[in-house]
Amino acid sequence: MLLEVKDITVHYSRLPALREVSVTVDEGEIVCIVGPNGAGKSTTLLAISGVLNPTHGEILFDGDKINGMSAEAVARSGISQVPEGRHVFTTLNVEENLRIGTSIRKDRENIEKDFKHILEIFPVLAERRKQAAGKLSGGEQQMLVIGRALLTNPRIMTIDEPSLGLAPNLVDRVYETLIDLRRSRGLTLLIVEQSSERALKAADRLYVLRSGQMQLEGKAADLRDGEKVRQAYFGFEEGSADDGKVAF
Amino acid sequence: MDYIIQTVISALSVGSFYALGALGIGLLFSVLRLINFAHGDFITVGGFALIVPSSAVVATVAIGGLHPAIMVVAIVAIVVALAVISYFLVFQHSQTSSPATMMIVSFALGYTLQNLIVMIYGGRPKAVNIFPSLTGQVQLSDGVSVQILQLVIIAVTWILLIALVLFLKRTRVGVQMRAAAEDFRMARMLGVNGKNVIALAFVLSGGLAGIMSILFVTQTGVLIFRMGVPIMLFFFIATVIGGMGSLVGAVVGGYSVGIVSVVLSAILPEELRGFRDACVFILVIVILLARPQGIVLTKAAKERV
Repeated sequence: MLLEVKDITVHYSRLPALREVSVTVDEGEIVCIVGPNGAGKSTTLLAISGVLNPTHGEILFDGDKINGMSAEAVARSGISQVPEGRHVFTTLNVEENLRIGTSIRKDRENIEKDFKHILEIFPVLAERRKQAAGKLSGGEQQMLVIGRALLTNPRIMTIDEPSLGLAPNLVDRVYETLIDLRRSRGLTLLIVEQSSERALKAADRLYVLRSGQMQLEGKAADLRDGEKVRQAYFGFEEGSADDGKVAF
Repeated sequence: MDYIIQTVISALSVGSFYALGALGIGLLFSVLRLINFAHGDFITVGGFALIVPSSAVVATVAIGGLHPAIMVVAIVAIVVALAVISYFLVFQHSQTSSPATMMIVSFALGYTLQNLIVMIYGGRPKAVNIFPSLTGQVQLSDGVSVQILQLVIIAVTWILLIALVLFLKRTRVGVQMRAAAEDFRMARMLGVNGKNVIALAFVLSGGLAGIMSILFVTQTGVLIFRMGVPIMLFFFIATVIGGMGSLVGAVVGGYSVGIVSVVLSAILPEELRGFRDACVFILVIVILLARPQGIVLTKAAKERV
């Protein structure tokens, strides 16, 4: 088990945003967490990254406890997060943004090679190398933050809603790229997604989170018809919504 | 014509001084959202460090009497140390608080420093004379003469600005610092060491304050425990009208405030000159009414509006 989130509870001031949520990710796996708005998906990723501190439970990375560590220490240990809303450094140029990704690396001799490799995967970034990142389109910015996260040379990458604000054909590109990266580099991925259809297509395994609690976990292959996922996602059985009481 | 050239040089020199001060505040604000009201007092401490600590009426120079190069290095080192100690002892513990809380903490630190100076040196102004040759005049052409110090201040400012720009653009830590200034959390999530970046900002800010102590004391020739307070007010105003969090804005703001105040003293009628600062502040109000976010808009400022 590469990443093991065990029964974590996270509070925003006094309100619990997550209640005893568990997630596991194996080496080389693509795991998706889906759920409606406000379900606690981003909170889960921020807890893994060390930005939020769980009040209960623990997070193990490769067997070591990482909750309570600072965000930069978590990044150094090999977990790279692409947070919601992309967060490119708009005033830095594309190359500088990518270089920030190499801040934590000690293996200087490989950095240049990896840097060139990222520009090959994302040729559009090579073209715009000296441009301010704030001037890129949404899709290009998404490529940039994925490239930047990859340059930290992570063992696992977590991505919060890669499809947010992108045209459908661009979303396809992003997912193709991610799946390619798993194939070529053995990258492990934990992806948060609103669209369960998208997640079912990309993932090996799937979690459904709603109202801060885990509703369902299973292999994507077993859930492919989507019925169980839909029930877990919306919190009522198909056809029973019209009594008006169980709706979310 | 002579009068105009002299006024321009004088305006540029005052503007340069304010720009350096605003930059010292802007550096900390950009990474920490701290408006450091103790910055002026850092300059005061640097000035007092020139003389022997005693409450005697006549000041005896200590560091101020050393070889100029050694003196500059020593004063800069002392103020840098003070800034870094302030971070680890004071600001580090309030860095998760709101900007308003941190600002109040900085006021407290400033008053503490002022009172420590009174305890050690006494409360009376003390005359010191470092670099007496710089306060003389230099003949630029027929009938146009300006103070050498004014030219020195302008030159030093531009050397420091260029050095700072090169540092922020060309070095690894400089780029990390710019990234942290824009999005501190994201920078940390990519493994940038937040504490180091902030400590570095204190080093740079303290270094600027140290150099400013020497320039300021050379200019005024006197040490007063509250001398950092009025100049701090102008640095702060320069930072605000330039645009909080933007270093370019800090420089633009510093020059605007300096130039406006010198030009006002040149053109205001005799009887209004005493109200020059009031006129400057009225202009500041007008600028902020027109552009509440300051002259240069930054992401940091946008978050706050």
